[in-house]
Amino acid sequence: MSRHQYAMVMDLNKCLGCQTCTIACKKLWTDRDGTDYMYWNNVETRPGLGYPRQWDRNGGGWKDGELQPGRLPTLDDYGAPWEYDYEQRLYEGSGKPVMPSPDPQSGCNWDEDVGALNGDDNFYFYLPRICNHCTYPACLAACPRQAIYKREEDGIVLIDQERCQGYRYCIAACPYKKIYFNEITGKSEKCIFCYPRLEKGEVNACAAQCPGRLRFVGILDDPESPVHKLVLVYRVALPLFPEKGTQPNVFYVPPFNPPRRGNYGKSILEDPRLPLDYLVYLFGPEVKDVIRRLEAELVRAQNGERSEVLQLLIGRDAATRYRIPAREQLVQIKT
Amino acid sequence: MNQRGQLLTVLLLLMTSAAPAFSQQPAHTAALPQHLRLRANFSPQSAEVLLDPAAPAWQSTPAQRIALHRTPPLYDTDPPASLEISFVEVRTLRAAGKLFVHLSWRDASADYVELPAVPDTPPEQRFLKEHTLGPERFFDAAAVMFPKDAPGGVVSPSLQMGDAQGPVSMYYWNAARGAMRMEAAGRGTTRRTGDSFSARAVYASGTWQVVLELPELPPATPLAFAIWNGSQLDRDGRKYFSVWHWLE
Ligand code: SF4
Ligand code: SF4
Repeated sequence: MSRHQYAMVMDLNKCLGCQTCTIACKKLWTDRDGTDYMYWNNVETRPGLGYPRQWDRNGGGWKDGELQPGRLPTLDDYGAPWEYDYEQRLYEGSGKPVMPSPDPQSGCNWDEDVGALNGDDNFYFYLPRICNHCTYPACLAACPRQAIYKREEDGIVLIDQERCQGYRYCIAACPYKKIYFNEITGKSEKCIFCYPRLEKGEVNACAAQCPGRLRFVGILDDPESPVHKLVLVYRVALPLFPEKGTQPNVFYVPPFNPPRRGNYGKSILEDPRLPLDYLVYLFGPEVKDVIRRLEAELVRAQNGERSEVLQLLIGRDAATRYRIPAREQLVQIKT
Repeated sequence: MNQRGQLLTVLLLLMTSAAPAFSQQPAHTAALPQHLRLRANFSPQSAEVLLDPAAPAWQSTPAQRIALHRTPPLYDTDPPASLEISFVEVRTLRAAGKLFVHLSWRDASADYVELPAVPDTPPEQRFLKEHTLGPERFFDAAAVMFPKDAPGGVVSPSLQMGDAQGPVSMYYWNAARGAMRMEAAGRGTTRRTGDSFSARAVYASGTWQVVLELPELPPATPLAFAIWNGSQLDRDGRKYFSVWHWLE
Protein backbone atom coordinates (compact mmCIF):
# COMPACT_ATOMS: atom_id res chain seq x y z
CA MET A 1 0.00 0.00 0.00
CA SER A 2 1.30 3.39 -0.89
CA ARG A 3 1.32 6.55 1.21
CA HIS A 4 -1.12 8.34 -1.07
CA GLN A 5 -3.26 7.10 -3.91
CA TYR A 6 -4.34 8.76 -7.11
CA ALA A 7 -7.85 7.75 -8.13
CA MET A 8 -10.27 8.37 -10.96
CA VAL A 9 -14.06 8.37 -10.84
CA MET A 10 -16.03 7.97 -14.07
CA ASP A 11 -19.73 8.77 -14.16
CA LEU A 12 -21.18 6.20 -16.56
CA ASN A 13 -24.40 8.18 -16.88
CA LYS A 14 -22.51 10.75 -18.92
CA CYS A 15 -20.36 8.66 -21.26
CA LEU A 16 -21.17 9.22 -24.95
CA GLY A 17 -19.00 6.39 -26.24
CA CYS A 18 -17.22 8.89 -28.46
CA GLN A 19 -13.75 7.36 -27.92
CA THR A 20 -12.12 10.79 -27.68
CA CYS A 21 -10.36 9.54 -24.54
CA THR A 22 -9.15 6.45 -26.41
CA ILE A 23 -7.68 8.55 -29.20
CA ALA A 24 -6.15 11.09 -26.80
CA CYS A 25 -4.39 8.24 -25.03
CA LYS A 26 -3.36 6.52 -28.24
CA LYS A 27 -1.86 9.63 -29.80
CA LEU A 28 0.00 10.42 -26.64
CA TRP A 29 1.30 7.02 -25.54
CA THR A 30 0.73 4.13 -27.95
CA ASP A 31 1.55 5.44 -31.40
CA ARG A 32 4.84 3.54 -31.46
CA ASP A 33 6.21 0.31 -32.94
CA GLY A 34 4.50 -2.76 -31.54
CA THR A 35 1.70 -0.82 -29.84
CA ASP A 36 -0.90 -0.72 -32.61
CA TYR A 37 -3.29 -3.22 -31.01
CA MET A 38 -3.10 -1.68 -27.54
CA TYR A 39 -5.54 0.78 -26.05
CA TRP A 40 -4.39 1.68 -22.55
CA ASN A 41 -7.72 3.49 -22.41
CA ASN A 42 -10.58 1.71 -24.12
CA VAL A 43 -14.33 2.23 -24.09
CA GLU A 44 -16.50 -0.86 -24.48
CA THR A 45 -20.22 -1.38 -24.87
CA ARG A 46 -21.84 -3.18 -21.95
CA PRO A 47 -23.29 -5.76 -21.91
CA GLY A 48 -20.81 -6.94 -24.48
CA LEU A 49 -17.64 -8.81 -25.24
CA GLY A 50 -15.24 -6.17 -23.99
CA TYR A 51 -11.65 -5.56 -24.95
CA PRO A 52 -9.84 -7.90 -25.02
CA ARG A 53 -12.77 -10.17 -25.82
CA GLN A 54 -14.22 -11.83 -22.70
CA TRP A 55 -11.53 -10.30 -20.49
CA ASP A 56 -13.83 -10.63 -17.49
CA ARG A 57 -13.73 -14.43 -17.91
CA ASN A 58 -9.98 -14.78 -18.29
CA GLY A 59 -9.03 -15.38 -14.66
CA GLY A 60 -6.41 -13.53 -12.64
CA GLY A 61 -6.75 -11.52 -9.44
CA TRP A 62 -6.79 -12.80 -5.88
CA LYS A 63 -8.82 -15.37 -3.97
CA ASP A 64 -8.17 -16.17 -0.31
CA GLY A 65 -4.83 -14.41 -0.54
CA GLU A 66 -3.68 -16.51 -3.51
CA LEU A 67 -3.05 -15.32 -7.06
CA GLN A 68 -5.47 -16.95 -9.47
CA PRO A 69 -4.44 -18.49 -12.80
CA GLY A 70 -5.22 -16.40 -15.86
CA ARG A 71 -5.15 -16.73 -19.61
CA LEU A 72 -3.16 -14.64 -22.08
CA PRO A 73 -5.48 -13.07 -24.66
CA THR A 74 -4.59 -13.63 -28.32
CA LEU A 75 -4.23 -10.88 -30.92
CA ASP A 76 -7.64 -11.91 -32.22
CA ASP A 77 -9.11 -11.32 -28.76
CA TYR A 78 -7.82 -7.76 -28.88
CA GLY A 79 -8.67 -7.34 -32.55
CA ALA A 80 -5.94 -7.48 -35.17
CA PRO A 81 -5.14 -3.96 -36.43
CA TRP A 82 -5.57 -3.34 -40.13
CA GLU A 83 -4.21 -0.94 -42.72
CA TYR A 84 -5.91 0.52 -45.78
CA ASP A 85 -4.68 -0.21 -49.28
CA TYR A 86 -4.43 3.43 -50.37
CA GLU A 87 -1.48 2.68 -52.64
CA GLN A 88 -3.22 0.24 -54.96
CA ARG A 89 -6.65 1.80 -54.93
CA LEU A 90 -6.00 5.51 -54.99
CA TYR A 91 -2.60 5.96 -56.55
CA GLU A 92 -2.42 3.00 -58.87
CA GLY A 93 -6.03 3.54 -59.82
CA SER A 94 -7.60 0.09 -59.56
CA GLY A 95 -10.98 1.79 -59.57
CA LYS A 96 -12.16 -0.04 -56.46
CA PRO A 97 -12.90 1.57 -53.12
CA VAL A 98 -10.25 1.65 -50.44
CA MET A 99 -10.53 -1.48 -48.31
CA PRO A 100 -9.05 -2.45 -44.96
CA SER A 101 -6.57 -5.27 -44.97
CA PRO A 102 -6.50 -7.82 -43.43
CA ASP A 103 -10.28 -8.13 -43.52
CA PRO A 104 -11.27 -7.00 -40.00
CA GLN A 105 -12.79 -9.83 -37.97
CA SER A 106 -12.67 -8.37 -34.49
CA GLY A 107 -11.61 -5.19 -32.79
CA CYS A 108 -11.81 -2.87 -29.89
CA ASN A 109 -15.56 -2.23 -29.20
CA TRP A 110 -16.41 -4.53 -32.11
CA ASP A 111 -19.94 -5.06 -30.75
CA GLU A 112 -20.57 -1.34 -30.39
CA ASP A 113 -24.14 -0.51 -29.31
CA VAL A 114 -25.33 -4.12 -29.61
CA GLY A 115 -26.13 -4.41 -25.93
CA ALA A 116 -28.79 -6.86 -24.77
CA LEU A 117 -32.51 -7.14 -24.27
CA ASN A 118 -34.33 -6.15 -21.12
CA GLY A 119 -37.80 -7.47 -21.76
CA ASP A 120 -38.65 -6.11 -25.20
CA ASP A 121 -36.25 -3.19 -24.98
CA ASN A 122 -32.66 -3.04 -25.95
CA PHE A 123 -30.26 -1.50 -23.46
CA TYR A 124 -26.56 -0.75 -23.33
CA PHE A 125 -24.13 1.70 -21.86
CA TYR A 126 -20.45 2.50 -22.27
CA LEU A 127 -17.70 1.42 -19.94
CA PRO A 128 -14.43 3.34 -20.30
CA ARG A 129 -11.49 1.41 -18.84
CA ILE A 130 -7.92 2.16 -17.88
CA CYS A 131 -5.54 0.35 -15.51
CA ASN A 132 -7.04 0.57 -12.03
CA HIS A 133 -3.71 1.29 -10.30
CA CYS A 134 -4.87 -1.24 -7.74
CA THR A 135 -4.03 -1.14 -4.06
CA TYR A 136 -3.10 -4.84 -4.23
CA PRO A 137 -1.96 -5.18 -7.83
CA ALA A 138 -2.00 -8.81 -8.96
CA CYS A 139 0.26 -7.85 -11.86
CA LEU A 140 2.95 -6.68 -9.46
CA ALA A 141 2.73 -9.80 -7.33
CA ALA A 142 2.96 -12.09 -10.36
CA CYS A 143 6.15 -10.61 -11.80
CA PRO A 144 9.15 -12.80 -10.93
CA ARG A 145 11.50 -9.98 -11.98
CA GLN A 146 10.05 -7.38 -9.61
CA ALA A 147 9.78 -5.20 -12.69
CA ILE A 148 6.40 -3.77 -11.61
CA TYR A 149 6.28 -1.24 -8.81
CA LYS A 150 3.70 0.93 -7.11
CA ARG A 151 4.84 4.47 -6.45
CA GLU A 152 4.99 5.20 -2.76
CA GLU A 153 4.03 8.86 -3.18
CA ASP A 154 0.88 8.43 -5.30
CA GLY A 155 0.12 4.74 -5.80
CA ILE A 156 0.62 4.77 -9.58
CA VAL A 157 1.58 1.28 -10.84
CA LEU A 158 4.38 1.23 -13.42
CA ILE A 159 6.51 -1.32 -15.29
CA ASP A 160 10.25 -0.77 -15.23
CA GLN A 161 11.11 -1.23 -18.91
CA GLU A 162 14.71 -2.09 -18.03
CA ARG A 163 13.78 -4.94 -15.70
CA CYS A 164 10.88 -6.34 -17.72
CA GLN A 165 11.80 -9.48 -19.67
CA GLY A 166 8.45 -9.90 -21.38
CA TYR A 167 7.43 -13.04 -19.45
CA ARG A 168 3.79 -11.85 -19.33
CA TYR A 169 2.85 -13.38 -15.99
CA CYS A 170 1.43 -9.92 -15.21
CA ILE A 171 -0.98 -10.08 -18.15
CA ALA A 172 -2.33 -13.43 -17.01
CA ALA A 173 -2.57 -12.18 -13.41
CA CYS A 174 -4.36 -8.88 -14.09
CA PRO A 175 -8.09 -9.61 -13.78
CA TYR A 176 -8.81 -6.53 -15.91
CA LYS A 177 -6.32 -7.46 -18.68
CA LYS A 178 -4.87 -3.98 -18.61
CA ILE A 179 -1.28 -4.92 -19.45
CA TYR A 180 -0.21 -5.36 -23.07
CA PHE A 181 2.79 -7.08 -24.60
CA ASN A 182 4.87 -5.17 -27.15
CA GLU A 183 6.40 -7.80 -29.40
CA ILE A 184 8.82 -5.35 -30.98
CA THR A 185 10.45 -4.26 -27.71
CA GLY A 186 9.80 -7.66 -26.10
CA LYS A 187 8.38 -5.91 -23.02
CA SER A 188 5.03 -5.38 -21.39
CA GLU A 189 3.36 -1.97 -21.17
CA LYS A 190 0.42 -0.42 -19.41
CA CYS A 191 -1.42 2.79 -18.57
CA ILE A 192 0.88 5.10 -16.65
CA PHE A 193 -1.97 7.29 -15.32
CA CYS A 194 -0.31 10.11 -17.30
CA TYR A 195 2.16 10.60 -14.45
CA PRO A 196 4.37 12.94 -16.52
CA ARG A 197 1.34 15.20 -16.99
CA LEU A 198 0.27 15.00 -13.34
CA GLU A 199 3.77 15.97 -12.28
CA LYS A 200 3.33 19.15 -14.31
CA GLY A 201 -0.07 19.80 -12.74
CA GLU A 202 -1.98 18.66 -15.86
CA VAL A 203 -4.78 16.13 -15.59
CA ASN A 204 -4.68 12.80 -17.46
CA ALA A 205 -5.15 13.18 -21.22
CA CYS A 206 -8.25 10.94 -21.28
CA ALA A 207 -9.91 13.17 -18.69
CA ALA A 208 -8.77 16.43 -20.24
CA GLN A 209 -10.23 15.56 -23.65
CA CYS A 210 -13.51 14.00 -22.46
CA PRO A 211 -16.44 16.01 -23.87
CA GLY A 212 -18.77 14.20 -21.48
CA ARG A 213 -16.82 15.69 -18.55
CA LEU A 214 -17.37 12.50 -16.66
CA ARG A 215 -13.92 11.90 -15.26
CA PHE A 216 -12.88 13.09 -11.81
CA VAL A 217 -9.26 12.89 -10.73
CA GLY A 218 -7.51 13.46 -7.43
CA ILE A 219 -5.90 11.88 -4.42
CA LEU A 220 -8.28 9.43 -2.77
CA ASP A 221 -7.03 10.26 0.71
CA ASP A 222 -7.17 14.02 0.15
CA PRO A 223 -10.41 15.16 1.86
CA GLU A 224 -10.66 18.10 -0.54
CA SER A 225 -10.52 16.03 -3.71
CA PRO A 226 -13.65 15.22 -5.73
CA VAL A 227 -12.70 11.54 -5.84
CA HIS A 228 -12.51 11.40 -2.06
CA LYS A 229 -15.96 12.94 -1.79
CA LEU A 230 -17.60 10.74 -4.42
CA VAL A 231 -16.07 7.48 -3.21
CA LEU A 232 -15.72 7.90 0.53
CA VAL A 233 -18.10 10.66 1.64
CA TYR A 234 -21.09 10.47 -0.72
CA ARG A 235 -20.35 6.82 -1.51
CA VAL A 236 -21.77 6.91 -5.02
CA ALA A 237 -18.86 5.32 -6.92
CA LEU A 238 -17.76 1.69 -6.93
CA PRO A 239 -14.86 -0.30 -8.36
CA LEU A 240 -15.38 -2.80 -11.15
CA PHE A 241 -15.45 -6.47 -10.07
CA PRO A 242 -14.53 -5.86 -6.44
CA GLU A 243 -14.42 -9.63 -5.88
CA LYS A 244 -11.23 -9.86 -7.94
CA GLY A 245 -9.45 -8.70 -4.80
CA THR A 246 -7.03 -6.14 -6.22
CA GLN A 247 -8.85 -3.09 -4.82
CA PRO A 248 -9.05 -0.90 -7.90
CA ASN A 249 -8.60 2.86 -7.63
CA VAL A 250 -10.78 3.62 -10.61
CA PHE A 251 -14.40 3.95 -9.52
CA TYR A 252 -17.64 4.18 -11.45
CA VAL A 253 -20.87 5.99 -10.78
CA PRO A 254 -23.23 3.27 -12.04
CA PRO A 255 -25.72 4.10 -14.80
CA PHE A 256 -28.84 4.52 -12.72
CA ASN A 257 -31.38 6.47 -14.67
CA PRO A 258 -31.34 5.87 -18.41
CA PRO A 259 -34.41 7.62 -19.80
CA ARG A 260 -37.20 5.64 -21.41
CA ARG A 261 -40.46 6.83 -22.84
CA GLY A 262 -43.30 6.63 -20.33
CA ASN A 263 -41.09 6.07 -17.34
CA TYR A 264 -40.54 9.61 -16.25
CA GLY A 265 -40.19 9.94 -12.52
CA LYS A 266 -39.96 6.24 -11.83
CA SER A 267 -36.80 5.09 -10.11
CA ILE A 268 -34.71 2.33 -11.54
CA LEU A 269 -35.48 0.23 -8.50
CA GLU A 270 -39.23 0.31 -9.11
CA ASP A 271 -38.96 0.13 -12.89
CA PRO A 272 -35.55 -1.19 -13.91
CA ARG A 273 -34.68 0.19 -17.29
CA LEU A 274 -31.58 -1.91 -17.25
CA PRO A 275 -31.39 -5.21 -15.38
CA LEU A 276 -30.00 -4.68 -11.93
CA ASP A 277 -28.47 -8.16 -12.07
CA TYR A 278 -26.10 -6.94 -14.70
CA LEU A 279 -24.99 -3.98 -12.59
CA VAL A 280 -24.53 -6.33 -9.64
CA TYR A 281 -22.40 -8.53 -11.89
CA LEU A 282 -20.14 -5.57 -12.71
CA PHE A 283 -20.04 -3.69 -9.42
CA GLY A 284 -21.13 -6.13 -6.72
CA PRO A 285 -24.28 -6.07 -4.54
CA GLU A 286 -23.40 -2.65 -3.10
CA VAL A 287 -24.50 -1.13 -6.39
CA LYS A 288 -28.10 -1.28 -5.17
CA ASP A 289 -27.28 0.95 -2.20
CA VAL A 290 -25.44 3.35 -4.48
CA ILE A 291 -28.44 3.57 -6.80
CA ARG A 292 -30.73 4.18 -3.83
CA ARG A 293 -28.49 7.04 -2.73
CA LEU A 294 -28.40 8.51 -6.22
CA GLU A 295 -32.17 8.21 -6.67
CA ALA A 296 -32.67 10.00 -3.35
CA GLU A 297 -30.41 12.83 -4.51
CA LEU A 298 -32.39 13.07 -7.71
CA VAL A 299 -35.68 13.31 -5.82
CA ARG A 300 -34.15 16.01 -3.63
CA ALA A 301 -33.11 18.03 -6.68
CA GLN A 302 -36.50 17.52 -8.31
CA ASN A 303 -38.08 18.95 -5.15
CA GLY A 304 -36.06 22.11 -5.57
CA GLU A 305 -33.52 21.33 -2.88
CA ARG A 306 -29.80 21.49 -3.49
CA SER A 307 -27.94 18.21 -3.98
CA GLU A 308 -24.23 18.52 -3.33
CA VAL A 309 -23.70 15.14 -4.93
CA LEU A 310 -25.42 16.01 -8.17
CA GLN A 311 -23.75 19.43 -8.25
CA LEU A 312 -20.40 17.71 -8.00
CA LEU A 313 -21.35 15.08 -10.59
CA ILE A 314 -22.30 17.83 -13.06
CA GLY A 315 -18.62 18.72 -12.90
CA ARG A 316 -18.99 22.19 -14.35
CA ASP A 317 -15.33 23.07 -14.61
CA ALA A 318 -11.90 21.56 -14.37
CA ALA A 319 -11.42 22.91 -10.85
CA THR A 320 -14.45 20.92 -9.73
CA ARG A 321 -13.46 17.72 -11.46
CA TYR A 322 -9.75 17.62 -10.80
CA ARG A 323 -7.48 18.27 -7.90
CA ILE A 324 -3.88 17.65 -8.88
CA PRO A 325 -1.54 18.51 -6.01
CA ALA A 326 2.02 19.57 -6.69
CA ARG A 327 4.48 16.89 -5.68
CA GLU A 328 5.61 18.82 -2.61
CA GLN A 329 1.98 19.19 -1.51
CA LEU A 330 1.44 15.45 -1.72
CA VAL A 331 3.44 14.77 1.39
CA GLN A 332 1.49 17.41 3.29
CA ILE A 333 -1.86 15.72 2.82
CA LYS A 334 -2.78 14.17 6.13
CA THR A 335 -3.63 10.51 5.85
CA MET B 1 12.46 -45.71 -14.21
CA ASN B 2 16.07 -46.86 -14.43
CA GLN B 3 18.65 -46.25 -11.73
CA ARG B 4 19.95 -43.13 -13.32
CA GLY B 5 16.45 -41.80 -13.60
CA GLN B 6 15.97 -42.39 -9.92
CA LEU B 7 19.22 -40.65 -9.07
CA LEU B 8 18.19 -37.65 -11.13
CA THR B 9 14.83 -37.57 -9.44
CA VAL B 10 16.62 -37.44 -6.10
CA LEU B 11 18.85 -34.67 -7.37
CA LEU B 12 15.82 -32.81 -8.62
CA LEU B 13 14.06 -33.09 -5.32
CA LEU B 14 17.15 -31.86 -3.54
CA MET B 15 17.37 -28.99 -5.92
CA THR B 16 13.81 -27.92 -5.61
CA SER B 17 13.85 -28.09 -1.84
CA ALA B 18 14.89 -24.98 0.01
CA ALA B 19 18.62 -25.73 -0.26
CA PRO B 20 19.98 -22.44 -1.57
CA ALA B 21 23.16 -23.70 -3.18
CA PHE B 22 22.62 -27.22 -4.29
CA SER B 23 25.76 -28.43 -6.02
CA GLN B 24 27.27 -31.46 -7.53
CA GLN B 25 30.85 -32.30 -6.61
CA PRO B 26 32.90 -32.38 -9.79
CA ALA B 27 36.02 -34.01 -8.31
CA HIS B 28 38.14 -35.10 -11.25
CA THR B 29 36.45 -35.47 -14.57
CA ALA B 30 38.18 -38.83 -14.87
CA ALA B 31 36.38 -39.98 -11.75
CA LEU B 32 33.02 -38.96 -13.16
CA PRO B 33 30.67 -41.42 -14.78
CA GLN B 34 30.89 -41.33 -18.55
CA HIS B 35 27.45 -39.83 -19.01
CA LEU B 36 28.38 -36.67 -17.09
CA ARG B 37 31.44 -35.98 -19.22
CA LEU B 38 31.61 -33.98 -22.41
CA ARG B 39 34.34 -34.69 -24.89
CA ALA B 40 35.59 -31.61 -26.73
CA ASN B 41 38.08 -32.44 -29.46
CA PHE B 42 40.08 -29.88 -31.36
CA SER B 43 38.92 -29.08 -34.85
CA PRO B 44 40.99 -27.43 -37.59
CA GLN B 45 37.84 -25.80 -39.00
CA SER B 46 37.14 -22.09 -38.96
CA ALA B 47 34.42 -20.49 -36.84
CA GLU B 48 32.49 -19.73 -40.02
CA VAL B 49 32.39 -23.42 -40.94
CA LEU B 50 31.51 -24.67 -37.46
CA LEU B 51 28.73 -22.14 -36.99
CA ASP B 52 26.82 -24.01 -39.68
CA PRO B 53 24.79 -26.61 -37.76
CA ALA B 54 24.82 -28.88 -40.82
CA ALA B 55 28.61 -28.77 -41.31
CA PRO B 56 30.19 -32.21 -41.94
CA ALA B 57 32.51 -31.57 -38.99
CA TRP B 58 29.48 -31.85 -36.72
CA GLN B 59 28.18 -34.97 -38.40
CA SER B 60 31.44 -36.74 -37.64
CA THR B 61 31.46 -35.60 -34.01
CA PRO B 62 29.86 -38.07 -31.62
CA ALA B 63 26.89 -36.72 -29.69
CA GLN B 64 26.32 -36.97 -25.99
CA ARG B 65 22.64 -37.56 -25.27
CA ILE B 66 21.75 -35.48 -22.23
CA ALA B 67 18.56 -36.01 -20.29
CA LEU B 68 16.25 -33.02 -19.88
CA HIS B 69 13.86 -32.40 -17.02
CA ARG B 70 10.99 -29.98 -16.56
CA THR B 71 11.46 -27.41 -13.85
CA PRO B 72 8.78 -27.93 -11.21
CA PRO B 73 5.90 -25.42 -11.39
CA LEU B 74 7.36 -22.12 -10.18
CA TYR B 75 4.05 -20.46 -9.40
CA ASP B 76 0.77 -21.97 -8.26
CA THR B 77 -0.92 -20.32 -11.19
CA ASP B 78 1.27 -22.07 -13.80
CA PRO B 79 -0.53 -24.56 -16.01
CA PRO B 80 1.18 -27.97 -15.81
CA ALA B 81 3.59 -28.95 -18.58
CA SER B 82 4.40 -32.42 -19.82
CA LEU B 83 7.84 -33.75 -20.78
CA GLU B 84 7.66 -33.30 -24.55
CA ILE B 85 11.42 -33.07 -25.03
CA SER B 86 13.26 -35.73 -23.06
CA PHE B 87 16.82 -35.13 -24.23
CA VAL B 88 19.14 -32.82 -26.10
CA GLU B 89 22.08 -34.10 -28.12
CA VAL B 90 25.23 -32.15 -27.38
CA ARG B 91 28.41 -32.00 -29.44
CA THR B 92 31.36 -29.83 -28.49
CA LEU B 93 34.43 -28.84 -30.51
CA ARG B 94 37.35 -26.59 -29.70
CA ALA B 95 38.46 -24.45 -32.61
CA ALA B 96 39.82 -21.00 -33.38
CA GLY B 97 40.31 -20.28 -29.68
CA LYS B 98 36.61 -20.87 -28.95
CA LEU B 99 34.35 -23.61 -27.72
CA PHE B 100 31.58 -24.48 -30.16
CA VAL B 101 28.51 -26.18 -28.76
CA HIS B 102 26.11 -27.93 -31.13
CA LEU B 103 22.69 -28.67 -29.64
CA SER B 104 19.96 -30.64 -31.35
CA TRP B 105 16.58 -31.62 -30.04
CA ARG B 106 13.28 -32.80 -31.42
CA ASP B 107 10.42 -30.32 -31.19
CA ALA B 108 7.28 -30.89 -33.22
CA SER B 109 6.58 -27.15 -33.64
CA ALA B 110 9.06 -24.45 -34.58
CA ASP B 111 7.86 -21.56 -32.42
CA TYR B 112 9.62 -18.81 -34.22
CA VAL B 113 8.96 -15.76 -36.36
CA GLU B 114 11.09 -13.20 -38.09
CA LEU B 115 10.46 -10.12 -35.97
CA PRO B 116 10.77 -6.85 -37.86
CA ALA B 117 13.83 -4.79 -37.15
CA VAL B 118 12.90 -1.48 -35.57
CA PRO B 119 13.46 1.19 -38.25
CA ASP B 120 16.05 3.86 -37.59
CA THR B 121 13.66 6.78 -37.98
CA PRO B 122 11.72 7.50 -34.78
CA PRO B 123 8.07 6.36 -34.87
CA GLU B 124 6.66 9.90 -34.78
CA GLN B 125 8.29 10.56 -38.15
CA ARG B 126 6.75 7.50 -39.77
CA PHE B 127 3.17 6.94 -40.84
CA LEU B 128 3.35 3.16 -40.51
CA LYS B 129 4.54 1.48 -37.34
CA GLU B 130 5.69 -2.11 -36.87
CA HIS B 131 2.98 -4.48 -35.69
CA THR B 132 2.69 -6.81 -32.75
CA LEU B 133 1.25 -9.96 -34.30
CA GLY B 134 1.12 -12.44 -31.42
CA PRO B 135 1.08 -10.98 -27.93
CA GLU B 136 0.34 -14.50 -26.65
CA ARG B 137 3.16 -16.41 -28.34
CA PHE B 138 6.46 -17.56 -26.89
CA PHE B 139 9.48 -18.62 -28.87
CA ASP B 140 11.78 -21.66 -28.73
CA ALA B 141 15.11 -21.00 -27.07
CA ALA B 142 18.22 -22.72 -25.74
CA ALA B 143 21.03 -21.81 -23.39
CA VAL B 144 24.32 -23.06 -22.01
CA MET B 145 25.27 -22.09 -18.46
CA PHE B 146 28.75 -22.28 -16.93
CA PRO B 147 30.54 -20.73 -13.95
CA LYS B 148 31.40 -17.11 -14.58
CA ASP B 149 34.70 -17.29 -12.78
CA ALA B 150 37.39 -19.69 -13.94
CA PRO B 151 36.38 -23.11 -12.72
CA GLY B 152 38.63 -25.31 -10.67
CA GLY B 153 36.85 -24.67 -7.42
CA VAL B 154 35.69 -27.74 -5.59
CA VAL B 155 32.01 -27.01 -5.80
CA SER B 156 30.00 -26.16 -8.91
CA PRO B 157 27.45 -23.35 -8.66
CA SER B 158 23.80 -23.97 -7.94
CA LEU B 159 21.86 -25.23 -10.93
CA GLN B 160 19.27 -22.59 -10.16
CA MET B 161 21.07 -19.79 -11.99
CA GLY B 162 24.19 -20.05 -9.79
CA ASP B 163 24.49 -18.58 -6.32
CA ALA B 164 26.22 -15.75 -4.48
CA GLN B 165 29.48 -17.71 -4.19
CA GLY B 166 29.18 -19.15 -7.67
CA PRO B 167 27.96 -16.61 -10.23
CA VAL B 168 27.18 -18.04 -13.65
CA SER B 169 27.33 -16.93 -17.24
CA MET B 170 24.62 -17.89 -19.73
CA TYR B 171 24.81 -17.96 -23.50
CA TYR B 172 21.16 -17.69 -24.46
CA TRP B 173 19.75 -18.06 -27.95
CA ASN B 174 16.12 -17.31 -28.80
CA ALA B 175 14.64 -18.37 -32.14
CA ALA B 176 13.08 -14.94 -32.70
CA ARG B 177 15.19 -12.58 -30.63
CA GLY B 178 18.68 -13.87 -31.37
CA ALA B 179 21.68 -14.47 -29.13
CA MET B 180 22.32 -12.65 -25.88
CA ARG B 181 24.64 -13.07 -22.96
CA MET B 182 23.31 -13.12 -19.43
CA GLU B 183 24.71 -13.39 -15.95
CA ALA B 184 23.21 -14.44 -12.65
CA ALA B 185 24.12 -15.20 -9.06
CA GLY B 186 21.03 -17.09 -7.97
CA ARG B 187 17.44 -17.41 -9.04
CA GLY B 188 15.79 -14.08 -9.79
CA THR B 189 19.09 -12.26 -10.36
CA THR B 190 19.46 -12.95 -14.09
CA ARG B 191 20.37 -9.90 -16.13
CA ARG B 192 21.35 -9.32 -19.72
CA THR B 193 24.90 -8.08 -20.14
CA GLY B 194 23.93 -6.27 -23.34
CA ASP B 195 26.44 -8.34 -25.35
CA SER B 196 25.56 -10.71 -28.12
CA PHE B 197 27.56 -13.68 -29.45
CA SER B 198 27.63 -15.78 -32.61
CA ALA B 199 24.94 -18.40 -32.92
CA ARG B 200 23.19 -20.06 -35.84
CA ALA B 201 20.18 -22.32 -35.99
CA VAL B 202 18.22 -24.43 -38.45
CA TYR B 203 14.89 -26.14 -37.98
CA ALA B 204 14.18 -29.08 -40.27
CA SER B 205 12.09 -32.26 -40.04
CA GLY B 206 10.97 -31.61 -36.50
CA THR B 207 14.45 -30.91 -35.14
CA TRP B 208 16.22 -27.80 -34.02
CA GLN B 209 19.98 -27.69 -34.55
CA VAL B 210 21.75 -24.75 -32.96
CA VAL B 211 25.44 -23.89 -32.76
CA LEU B 212 26.58 -21.48 -30.05
CA GLU B 213 30.04 -19.95 -30.03
CA LEU B 214 31.28 -19.87 -26.44
CA PRO B 215 34.61 -18.57 -25.23
CA GLU B 216 37.42 -21.07 -24.73
CA LEU B 217 36.62 -22.93 -21.52
CA PRO B 218 39.24 -25.03 -19.72
CA PRO B 219 38.77 -28.74 -19.11
CA ALA B 220 36.75 -29.63 -16.00
CA THR B 221 34.40 -26.69 -16.60
CA PRO B 222 30.85 -27.73 -15.77
CA LEU B 223 28.16 -26.92 -18.34
CA ALA B 224 24.41 -27.14 -17.94
CA PHE B 225 21.85 -26.92 -20.73
CA ALA B 226 18.37 -25.51 -20.98
CA ILE B 227 15.68 -25.65 -23.67
CA TRP B 228 12.54 -23.55 -23.82
CA ASN B 229 9.60 -24.83 -25.83
CA GLY B 230 7.50 -21.87 -26.96
CA SER B 231 4.37 -23.93 -27.59
CA GLN B 232 4.45 -25.02 -23.93
CA LEU B 233 4.45 -21.34 -22.83
CA ASP B 234 8.07 -21.72 -21.72
CA ARG B 235 9.89 -18.59 -20.60
CA ASP B 236 11.80 -17.60 -17.49
CA GLY B 237 12.38 -20.61 -15.22
CA ARG B 238 9.58 -22.52 -16.95
CA LYS B 239 11.79 -24.70 -19.16
CA TYR B 240 13.74 -27.91 -19.64
CA PHE B 241 17.10 -28.21 -17.91
CA SER B 242 19.95 -30.67 -17.54
CA VAL B 243 22.23 -31.31 -14.58
CA TRP B 244 25.88 -30.23 -14.78
CA HIS B 245 28.16 -32.02 -17.23
CA TRP B 246 31.92 -31.57 -17.20
CA LEU B 247 34.11 -30.73 -20.15
CA GLU B 248 37.03 -33.08 -20.58
S1 SF4 C 1 -5.65 -3.12 -13.17
FE1 SF4 C 1 -4.33 -4.86 -13.61
S2 SF4 C 1 -2.48 -3.89 -14.44
FE2 SF4 C 1 -3.59 -2.28 -13.36
S3 SF4 C 1 -2.69 -2.31 -11.27
FE3 SF4 C 1 -4.56 -3.61 -11.25
S4 SF4 C 1 -3.73 -5.68 -11.58
FE4 SF4 C 1 -2.13 -4.25 -12.24
S1 SF4 D 1 -14.07 10.79 -24.01
FE1 SF4 D 1 -15.46 10.75 -22.25
S2 SF4 D 1 -17.52 10.61 -23.19
FE2 SF4 D 1 -16.07 10.07 -24.81
S3 SF4 D 1 -15.91 7.81 -24.65
FE3 SF4 D 1 -14.26 8.65 -23.37
S4 SF4 D 1 -15.11 8.70 -21.31
FE4 SF4 D 1 -16.87 8.49 -22.74
